[in-house]
Amino acid sequence: MMTLIRRELLDNLMTFRFAAATFITLLLVVANTFVLIIDYERRLASHNDAVKMHQRQLQEKITYSAGEVRVDRPPNPLSIFNVGFDKRLGNEIEVSHKLVPSLWDAGMHGSDNPFMDMFASMDIVFIFEVILSLFALIFAYNAFAGEYESGTLRLVLTHPIGRGKILVAKYLSAMLCLIVPLLMSLLLSIILLTTSTSISLNSDDFLRIGGIILTSVAYLSVFYLIGLLISAATRRTSTALMLSMFVWGFLVLVYPNVILTVIPRPESPDALRTSAFNRIENIWETFDRERKHYLATDDFPGEDWGYELRGWGWRSEGFRDYPRILLYTYRSVMDFEGFGEKDEPKMPHAQKHFGFLGAQTIDAADRTWLIRKPALEEIFIQPANMERVWLKLSPVGVYDAATQAWAGTDLLGIRDFFHAARQYRQSLTNFFYDHKVFESRQWFSGDKGAADWSGLPQFAFQRDDINTNAKRALPDVFLLLMLNVVLFIVIFLIFVKSEV
Amino acid sequence: MWHIAKRELYDNLNSLRFALATVLLLGLMLTNAAVYLHEQPKRTQKYNAAVTESVNDLTVRADSLYTLAREGPGLLYKKPSSLRFCAEGGEPFLPNVVGGAFLWSISGGLKGFWRLNYPSTTPNLTDIRPNVTKVDWAFIIGYVLSLIAILFTFDAISGERELGTLRLMLANPMPRYTILIGKFLGALISIGIPLTLAVLMNLLLISTSSAVQLGPDAWERLGIIFFIAILYTGLFLALGLLVSTCVSRSAVSLVILLLIWVTFVVFVPSTLASIAGGFSSPMSTDELWQRRGELYAKRWERYDAYFAERVERSKEIQFKGEHVIAEAEEQERVNEEHLAQQIDQVKFARRTTQISPIAIAQHLIESFAGTGFERHLQFLENTRTHARQFRKFIADTDSGDPESSHIIGIRQGMSEKPVSPAAVPKFEDTLNLNQDFNAAMMDLLLLVLLFVVLLSGAYLAFVRVEV
Repeated sequence: MMTLIRRELLDNLMTFRFAAATFITLLLVVANTFVLIIDYERRLASHNDAVKMHQRQLQEKITYSAGEVRVDRPPNPLSIFNVGFDKRLGNEIEVSHKLVPSLWDAGMHGSDNPFMDMFASMDIVFIFEVILSLFALIFAYNAFAGEYESGTLRLVLTHPIGRGKILVAKYLSAMLCLIVPLLMSLLLSIILLTTSTSISLNSDDFLRIGGIILTSVAYLSVFYLIGLLISAATRRTSTALMLSMFVWGFLVLVYPNVILTVIPRPESPDALRTSAFNRIENIWETFDRERKHYLATDDFPGEDWGYELRGWGWRSEGFRDYPRILLYTYRSVMDFEGFGEKDEPKMPHAQKHFGFLGAQTIDAADRTWLIRKPALEEIFIQPANMERVWLKLSPVGVYDAATQAWAGTDLLGIRDFFHAARQYRQSLTNFFYDHKVFESRQWFSGDKGAADWSGLPQFAFQRDDINTNAKRALPDVFLLLMLNVVLFIVIFLIFVKSEV
Repeated sequence: MWHIAKRELYDNLNSLRFALATVLLLGLMLTNAAVYLHEQPKRTQKYNAAVTESVNDLTVRADSLYTLAREGPGLLYKKPSSLRFCAEGGEPFLPNVVGGAFLWSISGGLKGFWRLNYPSTTPNLTDIRPNVTKVDWAFIIGYVLSLIAILFTFDAISGERELGTLRLMLANPMPRYTILIGKFLGALISIGIPLTLAVLMNLLLISTSSAVQLGPDAWERLGIIFFIAILYTGLFLALGLLVSTCVSRSAVSLVILLLIWVTFVVFVPSTLASIAGGFSSPMSTDELWQRRGELYAKRWERYDAYFAERVERSKEIQFKGEHVIAEAEEQERVNEEHLAQQIDQVKFARRTTQISPIAIAQHLIESFAGTGFERHLQFLENTRTHARQFRKFIADTDSGDPESSHIIGIRQGMSEKPVSPAAVPKFEDTLNLNQDFNAAMMDLLLLVLLFVVLLSGAYLAFVRVEV
């Protein structure tokens, strides 16, 4: 057994294809890691600028109602391995009592030249996707067919060794050879990552990278086994090679790009959207009625929401709706630096009104979210997930999904941030209630001291721990492993029954 | 020579690779046509609706020359190309409209005048669907066809040498270049057959559909694109012959060819583009806003300084008009500068990627299909021309009215008469084949040059090869 492995290993290691595979993988991975690190650093700098800017803008506001608390999603350092949604989805969002924030309300900062998005961006997993699968097939195509043609297979089989052992020996030695370029290039890219000052990887990150390596090996093995299968089934090198190359072209190049245009794109159900939006509209219409009712029955004749306060400053009020993403919210902002004498008696009434309004807005926003959340899930997430299942019919899709999950750049990883933003909103509203912010004079005026933003709870987003990543990635990793086992069994059966 | 070509052809026609290539190309081309027929009518409809709305808006504004001049010609839309199935060309990343902006008020209670404003496409942040490349001709030709070309030629010489038939062939009294050219032509024809078949099926499907019409101009363009596809295939065939001649074993030849293919076709374009993009940093959005703010403040100061002392009425109007126009012009210049810097960055990145033949081919296909970046630049140029025409129209109409005091920029100084909406110049986004041809000539020559170099390389290698 060991002799066999050694023989195969030496056979493979001394070939031109091994040297070429190692060289080209190293070259591509190192060159792209440089580019990706620079790109990551740029995004990080843009993130830091945005955080600073948002803080500064908040501090400048003298009233609470005018303040916009914005939180930013930091770029994920593991996006270098698989960029996933990290660059595509929104990375800043306003957190306020008026609206429960979600992925669909986010904004984006960081791209100074949107034209540059025309160029496809590349990550390390994409390189592996393309090149390792190609090499796996090149290593496999003549494993049986070649030996069969040259007659050495017959020679080997005359020895008292089981056919299963020969198969295992071939498999193990080729995989050892294929793992060399994979590990070497990853090692180099990790070294490059650690030398960069702006990227700090913690122990969890290294475990995640470990997960990516594991998945890559499983992916590699799938393609090697596909190659072996073709080689064992066709028995002729030239046919095996041609078939392998076309299978590669189909699985890697054609299928992932074509399948989504071929299947009918699940259109989001309009009826569902309309009904959800109607219910949301109802909530806010009720809110508006109660607001007007309050103003009409107030002991101070306050038909006007701002109590006709006249002073130095500005005010604005209004509803904002966007049916496409089921957005509906009410916003009233007042920013006064001072008032005239006449306004003083109105103050207590105004304060009481805004206290009422604040609580009502929070309540309406919370109720909206209860409708909005499942509807958004059904309209946007489910069709996208369906498409993802289609993509997983090719090992490339499975590999991509699994590594995204490890890196935390998949949809769930991005949504974690918005989950954190919603939790932050909760603590923000609690803070507003605890400090009676809505009833305070600073809600609409800075004349008796500006709003105090220093006591505000701080937002901190930590990526989920490795367990979560593993939980999300393991189904796909298992899928790859299962595929390996199935392919291996099929090859074994073909090989055992074949006549030499 | 024809004898060899014929022999190659027969060899290929019976082979597995020919069957696979045919199936693959046919499948892709039919998918392409089906998707296009599904999407194009919607696109055209959307464009027509938008244009109609824009024209209607214009009618509302034409009640006085001042309002028309101040609020501008409305939104200018990019006309969707009917050959979008040939090349998507990053269209989703390019804005399809150029608008204008006018400020409701600038300094001194004056109203701002219209200026060109270039929106950038904000990426669709709610799009959580998986990211895929569109299967257009550029993809099929660029990736699939080049791969097929390599698979057809990697063993052309080395395979025969391994079998020993090469020696046999060379024993015949014919020059070596005939053999090489024969092999080249044989391979080219054997790829040309499935390609032509697939293209014809694709075009048949598209041209018989009533949903889209292809004009004579479009057929001309399609012809050129087909020629580019053949040239590009020839380039990879020549590369395959070259490597196949230099290397004694087919397996090694294939590995080398695949490495070259993967590097130059798959990786070089995007890697180089991101490297090249890093060399320049265009004005950021924040910077743009800051510059605009500064210019605005300066104008405001000048305005204040002028009115610090008493000014007689006629001069006042004169100054105010100039003030409004200058403000708009200044802002437009900044917008223009910002856009130019962005475009320069992209142009540089695109030029860098032209090391790779696929980038050249894709740029060529884009420019003939009337999509992509070059087309976008043409569209921008068209809007600028239109803006000039529009301003000229305003000035001409105003000078045609004897009651006006011919001070553009302020209501009191301009003609009070309503404008007939039909007289206002219409924006027409045109595509000119000659213009495209001139722009693409460089790329085309580059592609031909590369082809000639590779083919003569293969010739030289083959002449010197020992059998």
